[in-house]
Amino acid sequence: MQRRRWTTAAAAASLVALALTGCTNNGGASTKALSSHGPITIWYSNNEQEVAWGKAMVKAWNAAHPKETIKAQEVPAGKSTEEVIGAAITAGTTPCLVFNNLPAATGQFQKQGGLVDLSKFPGADKYIEARSGKAADQYKSSDGDFYQMPWKSNPVMIFYNKDIFKKAGLDPDHPKLSTYADFLATAKKITSSGAAKYAIYPAPTSEFFQPNFDFLPLYAAETKGTPLVEDDKSTIDSPAGKDVLQFWKTIYADGLAGKEPVQNDAFASGTSAMAIVGPWAIPVYKDINWGEVPVPTKDGMSADQIYTFPDAKNIGMYTSCKNQGTAWDVLKFATSQDQDGKLLETTGQMPIRSDLQTVYPDYFAKNPAYKEFASQAERTVDDPTGPNTIATLQALRDFYTKAVIAGDGDLDSQLKQASDKITQTWTAK
Amino acid sequence: MSATDTIRPAGGARASGRPGHGGGERRLKHPLHLRVFGRNPLGWLFSAPYLVFVLGIFAYPLGFAVYMSFYDYFFAAPGAVVDRPFVGLDNYLQVFTDPKVLQSFGNVLVFLAINVPLTVVLSLLLATALNSVVHFRTFLRVSYYVPYVTASVAVVGVWLFLFSGNGLVNTLLGPLAPSPSWLVNSHLAMPTIALFVTWKQLGFYILLYLAALQNVPGELYESAATDGAGKVRSFFSVTVPGVRPATVLVLLLSTVIGANLFTEPYLLTGGGGPSGASASPVLVMYQQGIEQGHPGYAAAIGIVLVVFVLIIAWLQNRFAGGRD
Amino acid sequence: MRIRGLSRGQTVLRGVVLAVGAIAFLFPFYYMVIGSLQKSPDTTIAGAFPEAGNLTLSNYADINGRINLLQGLVNSGIFTGGVLLCTVVFGVLAGYSLAILQWRGRSATFALALLVQVIPFQLLIIPLYVLIARDYGLADNYLGMILPFAINSTAVIIFRQYFLQVPRELFEAARIDGAGEFRLLWRVALPLVRPALVTVVLLTFIGPWNEFLWPFLITKESSMQPLAVSLANYISNVAATASNPFGAVLSGAVVLAAPVVVLFIAFQRYFISTDIGSSVKG
Repeated sequence: MQRRRWTTAAAAASLVALALTGCTNNGGASTKALSSHGPITIWYSNNEQEVAWGKAMVKAWNAAHPKETIKAQEVPAGKSTEEVIGAAITAGTTPCLVFNNLPAATGQFQKQGGLVDLSKFPGADKYIEARSGKAADQYKSSDGDFYQMPWKSNPVMIFYNKDIFKKAGLDPDHPKLSTYADFLATAKKITSSGAAKYAIYPAPTSEFFQPNFDFLPLYAAETKGTPLVEDDKSTIDSPAGKDVLQFWKTIYADGLAGKEPVQNDAFASGTSAMAIVGPWAIPVYKDINWGEVPVPTKDGMSADQIYTFPDAKNIGMYTSCKNQGTAWDVLKFATSQDQDGKLLETTGQMPIRSDLQTVYPDYFAKNPAYKEFASQAERTVDDPTGPNTIATLQALRDFYTKAVIAGDGDLDSQLKQASDKITQTWTAK
Repeated sequence: MSATDTIRPAGGARASGRPGHGGGERRLKHPLHLRVFGRNPLGWLFSAPYLVFVLGIFAYPLGFAVYMSFYDYFFAAPGAVVDRPFVGLDNYLQVFTDPKVLQSFGNVLVFLAINVPLTVVLSLLLATALNSVVHFRTFLRVSYYVPYVTASVAVVGVWLFLFSGNGLVNTLLGPLAPSPSWLVNSHLAMPTIALFVTWKQLGFYILLYLAALQNVPGELYESAATDGAGKVRSFFSVTVPGVRPATVLVLLLSTVIGANLFTEPYLLTGGGGPSGASASPVLVMYQQGIEQGHPGYAAAIGIVLVVFVLIIAWLQNRFAGGRD
Repeated sequence: MRIRGLSRGQTVLRGVVLAVGAIAFLFPFYYMVIGSLQKSPDTTIAGAFPEAGNLTLSNYADINGRINLLQGLVNSGIFTGGVLLCTVVFGVLAGYSLAILQWRGRSATFALALLVQVIPFQLLIIPLYVLIARDYGLADNYLGMILPFAINSTAVIIFRQYFLQVPRELFEAARIDGAGEFRLLWRVALPLVRPALVTVVLLTFIGPWNEFLWPFLITKESSMQPLAVSLANYISNVAATASNPFGAVLSGAVVLAAPVVVLFIAFQRYFISTDIGSSVKG
């Protein structure tokens, strides 16, 4: 005990010294690090499939590069990922690469000085654009550079339970879900027939990322690809925005969706007949006889016109990394055609590649269920990238839970206020 | 009042030991170490590990939080060159004008108004009953302790099941069930959370009271009985004053823990819904500081909250705590 | 110690009230255990009762297959044990000095303990992480895990409060007999506050045992992570991919809660019979 006390006392003394000297300036992003090679650490997501892919990728790399080995660790897949990364940036304890970056958090990490500007690597822009095509553009930061490598997406679509549709007297193979009027009529049939308690059940909770799974996919579709913020201005106070909001408001007002948070998956338990999710959920719903359609639009569109939310995860390189040269090589290795194929194979998530269906024809022939998602992956709108993305999404969510889910007050006037608030939040310094 | 004095003879003795009570004249003659350290310098030694711990662990982060609250601060990587301008009291002004923050403070007041009295009354009554029970003692104590030890994720699931629109509670209430249901009703969300927290934490406070009850001298009950006091009267004249220090503690802790409410609204209503009716100041602080990257503003919210709680604690101490 | 003069009717009434309360408190735990044994989640009211065809241990087998439970338990034990040791030893000392001894800075120290209580952890977490991971260099280290929780301020306040409750004459008498402060503390004060000691152990235990975010931040090595962290990780994955996510969450919670309940059952008998209490005949 005695010794511990002295350790603590010594620690306290060193703390005082530290407080006096203030922030120590040790390095920062130097050009030397960019070309430096050696061992690196990476973090990947902790879900079982991604861990399996990650382990195999690391093994393959380490076998070929004994002097530049990778040490891999897991970070949580859930909502604490951003907290963990944010804290690690501040302490300078980030790994070289994180294979789990939320695009919405990129702007903030960049502002914190945590992310390496990937465009500084020779040929990087070309490599990224060649791999991801036009989809890469939305992952550029405002200075035109990439601070994240577009990696994989889970474009969201409407899953529907064929058995419930049958029970409700609906055609399970040709569900009428493409226009708002059809969708609402189908939804009403489901609840009034008693086939399921609710037609659909997006999470009615207030977390900032929830708009990505109700409002924003339909908004992307309705506007043929307009992001939430364009030229530093909110775009939602528009006829299209009103239509989408009115659609969801009707869903909630008519009791077609639940307003209460649920503990378990409403679609898996049969509480709701539809869900709005990406391909990662296919193995989860293996016991359900499901089909998928693109998200609805007001007057209906052909499937190859419809945009949606990609639910993407990207790769970030962190400034605390000493051997950034190696990190960049690993980045390229992990996103090579070979590794992307393995990722697709193990996880069923879509590498952000423009040529997805032509590069891996075997996979899609074997797994036709994923084909629609691959096609959908070509037309996506992600959250805008900026330092205030999360605050902006939270402002949107606060308005939405009140005006749409709870249905309080006049929608139009609240939309105008919310739109102003979004612009103001987005442009705040 | 006289009961208090019979039970707490310690009060007078302690008062005489208070600093400044020893008489100025005498103190002048004291050697230097007594003037610096007080009458029992050993107190310093005994408290030193704790003081070192608090200073080593909390002083820097807390000082830092105060510093941040005067800046448009954000956390940056070591060595990164960033602009974090001094903004004076701007963050504080914003705290008092941001409707979301004000709403969250109102919410937490509602929470405290329900949670604190309920906690004090229920835990004292249950602890008294548990203390005197003979049969099934272990079983009963374990039952009350269980919610406290169980992780929130699991308990929340059960609570959602009970209080959902067609859950057990509404089924039992039948036509009396509120609409919209408990947790999605902006008037009932916070009271429901307050009930939940009361229930979850009660085991802890029962423990505190149980421990305190062991120290109430039994002779007092006997003499109360000799005086012809019934059970109810001896509860009020012996038990209640006898455990007053514990009551002060329960009041204080339930207020402090309640004011730092975070996990329950985060899990039960998914981040402060409906329409912010269950958002707590710490939740707003978490959203601003950790999620949205405005720790300067979050620090200002936190410091206002700390002051707010200290004022409440001081008031409680004034009116309920007496000399302690 | 039983209060005298309780009529038979009152005893029965008390029993009924306590039993009803116990059921209300036990129900969620019971529900958790039942839910963790179900093959498929049943959130209807009928789901609260065991149903022969729907029972399975597979949720537990899944956990055992994915997590090194033993290692997690050992890590949790080290983390929690370290916190308990520091809290009990240093907390008793601090509580005693705050309640019994007169020294300068006593009220300031008490105010400090109060202040530490009042500050929300979310306010400090990032600077604290920077301090411990970068300045003290204690990432991936048990010490770094323990440090922020090392001396529970609530425990200090509780000790102080119970020392205050001990009649002052006992100390005065012992001092007159020439006992030193250490002896006084060990021989007079500690035995008297044994219920408080048990209380502190039982409530301090919960904090580190259930804590998730801090140990996760400070350790990235999965071999270092306490049970709460690995179970939370497990829950966050499995909730997305298991056939019975609800059962997975609940079984994880049962595994986490079980050791605490056992500990409680083992310790709770120390609540009763202290020197003061024993003078009362039941």
